[in-house]
Amino acid sequence: MLEKIRYFIRRALRNMRQWPVLCSAAILTMAVALATMATFFLVVLNIQGLATNWSQEIQVVAYFKTPPPRNQRAKLIQQVEAFVDVNQVVFISPTEALKRFSTRLGDDAGLLEGVSRTLLPASLEIRLKSGSHSREGVERVVAELKKDSRFNDVRFGQEWLERFENFVNLLKFAGLFLGSLFLLAALFIVSNTIKLTLYARRDELEIMALVGATKRFIQIPFLLEGALQGFAGGLLALGFLWLSFKLLLEKGLHSFWLTPVGFDPIFLSTEQQFMLVFSGVLLGLLGSLASLRKFVRL
Amino acid sequence: MIQLFNVTKAYGKESVALREMSVHIEKGEFTYVTGPSGAGKTTFLSMLYGASRPTRGQILIDGINITRMARRQIPFLRRKIGVVFQDFKLLNSRSVYENVAFALEAQGKKRYEVSKKVYQALKEVGLEHRLQRRPIELSGGEQQRIAIARALVVDPLILLADEPSGNLDLEVTLEIMELFKRANARGTTVLLATHDNSLYQRFPKRVLGLEAGRLVMDHQP
Repeated sequence: MLEKIRYFIRRALRNMRQWPVLCSAAILTMAVALATMATFFLVVLNIQGLATNWSQEIQVVAYFKTPPPRNQRAKLIQQVEAFVDVNQVVFISPTEALKRFSTRLGDDAGLLEGVSRTLLPASLEIRLKSGSHSREGVERVVAELKKDSRFNDVRFGQEWLERFENFVNLLKFAGLFLGSLFLLAALFIVSNTIKLTLYARRDELEIMALVGATKRFIQIPFLLEGALQGFAGGLLALGFLWLSFKLLLEKGLHSFWLTPVGFDPIFLSTEQQFMLVFSGVLLGLLGSLASLRKFVRL
Repeated sequence: MIQLFNVTKAYGKESVALREMSVHIEKGEFTYVTGPSGAGKTTFLSMLYGASRPTRGQILIDGINITRMARRQIPFLRRKIGVVFQDFKLLNSRSVYENVAFALEAQGKKRYEVSKKVYQALKEVGLEHRLQRRPIELSGGEQQRIAIARALVVDPLILLADEPSGNLDLEVTLEIMELFKRANARGTTVLLATHDNSLYQRFPKRVLGLEAGRLVMDHQP
């Protein structure tokens, strides 16, 4: 068994050495296909990362009809914090609200001179848990708050939230659709390149069948070769992606953000890098298999 | 060893390559298959090693009906049969040794066994000193001897040769015939397709004559 495996590996490597041009063509095709897909994936990953970063800003503000007495505030905060979707609650008194407003007005803060300190209502600023930054999460919190008659108004930027969710969904759908399209195109190109390499070696396939080699015996070294080429293509794509990330994408994404948002462009995680190389192996295997079915006929 | 019962091979309705052919060839027999081009010689041989199937009729090889054989069984049939072609069918990217070893490796033989048998087979055809050369560097006669070594290295029950001397001069043809005779003397059944009358006049053996796909002669010397 071990000898057979060694024989197959030896033959796969010898085939690659014997046909350097065809072998390089197959590796490069796979590298280009994988790098294109991975670049697209990386861009989507970064935009999604930015979107998630933005979504951390989502919060609900509940305004009181009349400010609650000081001794009831802690209990009230505790009550709201007990909601499943709520992470943190901050009480903003009318004085604090006025101070913030005045800061925001900047040079025009003088307009507020002589205004009553209780002009603005007291409110609760409610930050949500990381899994609840969705419309459903917000709606659950709002529904709970509206049951409480002490609150006059509840604000949560509904229109913005809907638009934001639609954008993220569109991004995910486009990623999935284009990704599948790229994958199919890559598989088609790779399968055809491998078909060419097999066509150049049809004599070898014919002679093998003639001397009594089984279908599996003929196919295994070619599959192994496809997998090895895919592995090399995957590594090459990863290298290319890293270089283009460092030289182009990082700067490109930064200027796409336009304003500093406290989110640095990210590269693929170790698992994702592993997946990229593994996709290469899989692509090589599937490409070889698809072509071999046509060429190896006993 | 080889039995054909009413074998017909047709390609579509118009073209019939072999018609109602019935013949028995005993174990260890040396048989010529003759006839002009297009008589059906190659079709006949190709059906014996499973490269094509008869449209009608049955073929038995070593008692096994190969017309009913599953495709995955064909490689095992071929391991009992050595085939030699007019155009040698050698791999020019491989050495002489590798070309002959191919047949044994395909059968999953161990490495030491492969090297021993390949050397013996090449010695048998007088090319043991050309082990590392590539077929393309050798003469036509030498290339055909490599092809014969590849066919014989697996100790086949049957040796099929389709116009093996078609591209060779008389002197080399006689050398090749000597190799076939030696294999036959060791018990291998030999079937040699040729349109060269001088061959069976020089080495008289049983002759099956084909014409337009029909067996028109079965002559024992």
